[in-house]
Amino acid sequence: MKDKIKKIMASVFMADEKTIADDIRQGDFEKWDSLQHLNLMVALEGHYHITFEPEEIMDMTDLEKIIRYVENKLNK
Amino acid sequence: MEDLRLFIYRNFTVEPLFGKFKNPQFSGYDDISIPPQDFDAIIWFYQLPLDATDDGALLFIENLKNRLDLFLGYNISATVILFTLHRFFYVSYQDSSWHLSRSIADYNNYLYSLAEKHRNFKVIDLSKFAEVTNPKPLIDWKYYYISKMLINPALSGTFHEWFVKQLNAINTSRKKCIVLDLDNTLWGGIIGEDGLEGIALGTTYPGSAYKDFQKGLREAAAHGVLLALCSKNNETDVGEVFEKHPAMELKKEDFVAFRINWTDKATNIAEIAEELNIGTDSLVFIDDNPVEREMIKKLVPDVTVPDFPDQPYKLKNFLKTVYEDFFQIYKITGEDRIKTEQYHQNARRIVNSRKFASIPEYLQSLEMVIKIEPVSSFNLSRIAQLTQKTNQFNLTTRRYTETDISNFTKNGALVVCASVADKFGDNGITAVSIIKKGKNSQATIDSYMLSCRILGRGIEDAFLKALLNHLYRNNIKEIFAEYLPTRKNMQTELFYENFGFKIISQENGTKKYRVVVHNEYRIDPCYAIVSNIGKTDER
Repeated sequence: MKDKIKKIMASVFMADEKTIADDIRQGDFEKWDSLQHLNLMVALEGHYHITFEPEEIMDMTDLEKIIRYVENKLNK
Repeated sequence: MEDLRLFIYRNFTVEPLFGKFKNPQFSGYDDISIPPQDFDAIIWFYQLPLDATDDGALLFIENLKNRLDLFLGYNISATVILFTLHRFFYVSYQDSSWHLSRSIADYNNYLYSLAEKHRNFKVIDLSKFAEVTNPKPLIDWKYYYISKMLINPALSGTFHEWFVKQLNAINTSRKKCIVLDLDNTLWGGIIGEDGLEGIALGTTYPGSAYKDFQKGLREAAAHGVLLALCSKNNETDVGEVFEKHPAMELKKEDFVAFRINWTDKATNIAEIAEELNIGTDSLVFIDDNPVEREMIKKLVPDVTVPDFPDQPYKLKNFLKTVYEDFFQIYKITGEDRIKTEQYHQNARRIVNSRKFASIPEYLQSLEMVIKIEPVSSFNLSRIAQLTQKTNQFNLTTRRYTETDISNFTKNGALVVCASVADKFGDNGITAVSIIKKGKNSQATIDSYMLSCRILGRGIEDAFLKALLNHLYRNNIKEIFAEYLPTRKNMQTELFYENFGFKIISQENGTKKYRVVVHNEYRIDPCYAIVSNIGKTDER
């Protein structure tokens, strides 16, 4: 799951996959701006066939949280 | 297509829709103050606010026309693509008035009238996109509320494909010239055999149908279509018809090129294109003879060759289709045609009474109110969020958490935010500044940022002036500031210089500034400033 999400992030941010660290955070990664954040959410929703709530979208600001939210959705 | 350089005027978040283009540029929300330069296409993508009442929407459209007129004043030479207004959402109240539908139709007609007047203006009917079948909803309200996205971002790919198709139509489909055969095309029969009296052309069928066809061609010519002749005939016979036949609607002067000879038509057509200095892909070849049509299709494949109708009475619709398919990409329905004169009048009325002479007048008309508030528990999270998210108009791009900001205030820093309202509504908190007080009468602007949605209306200057005036009144007159370059904040590179700050040091793009304030800055009356920062200080 983590690697797949990293792949999605790399493709959304148009960045090298190697630059997507395990502890990547929105504030630290320049290409992860507010717009790309939404693009990332759309990509995740599309890939996993899930939908996030606005509060979740605003909270998913690092890889760890993203994985947690996605897993929660998938386990429901 | 994707390497076109686009500039998009908008009032919604539309970045995902145009995200596949190379580095598209977007205006601030509702902002038209910057004339775009050096773009391949300028896109006008304004849509009704989704939170507007009917009256609000009417006012919006009224103002949108004003904006459009101001934009026209820029005299853009690049292609301008105007998207029609489409009602993305509405509740059908039983007593809904027709005013709004009519106003939308009028506005859209106005766009079409502009496209008729300006060769470089094109209209794209956004309602056609709404008709593109897709199981996904047009609006995803979640993304609208989070980020002011009008169109569901999951539809971005669909939109892109559709939009590129429209652009292709604009770029390639438009033809310039109709090349016509004569016998059994402009009249019935063969002049060389049937003679002047023998050809069918006049008031009775089938002659009436040919006469009408000629009339239609003349009308098309009056609308900019070039006409050329290419016929296997004796030139004298043809000359006689033009000179002597009483029912000839078309005159020799209506044609820009002639090839009346016995040479093959492929050669003739290539020559015509060369003579007119247009590509063979700009030609439409109309000939009743399927053998001739086949030959052109094979030998000059760029030429468009429509099938010729099998009956003269079908010529009427045939010409309409030819014109609409190849010479006018954007179909105006019959109803729109009737309205043409109406909107020409409307357009004049707008020009006479409502057009703004200048940007200042436009800004004035927005009735902007800048409300400046000190940090409080109500706005703390929004302020932190803006420091996290603002990239473009951000002088130092320092990211802070709520805790960071609370600590600043505890240490005496001035943390303020501004919300900007105009007659269309309230944009909410969209500007933040953090000013750290130094010793005596000094202070340093640690952070200064505006959300891109309010950029370009001079708010960046007005807000800073208001802040400096506040400091000045509190006897803080020596101000320091910085610009820290990032990949995204180039547009602020000269902000402080232009404002009048002096550079005191410069290294690797980082600049430090100083200014000594001697008087309060005058703030243009088009910005009503409501400041609550002074009040906190007095407490």
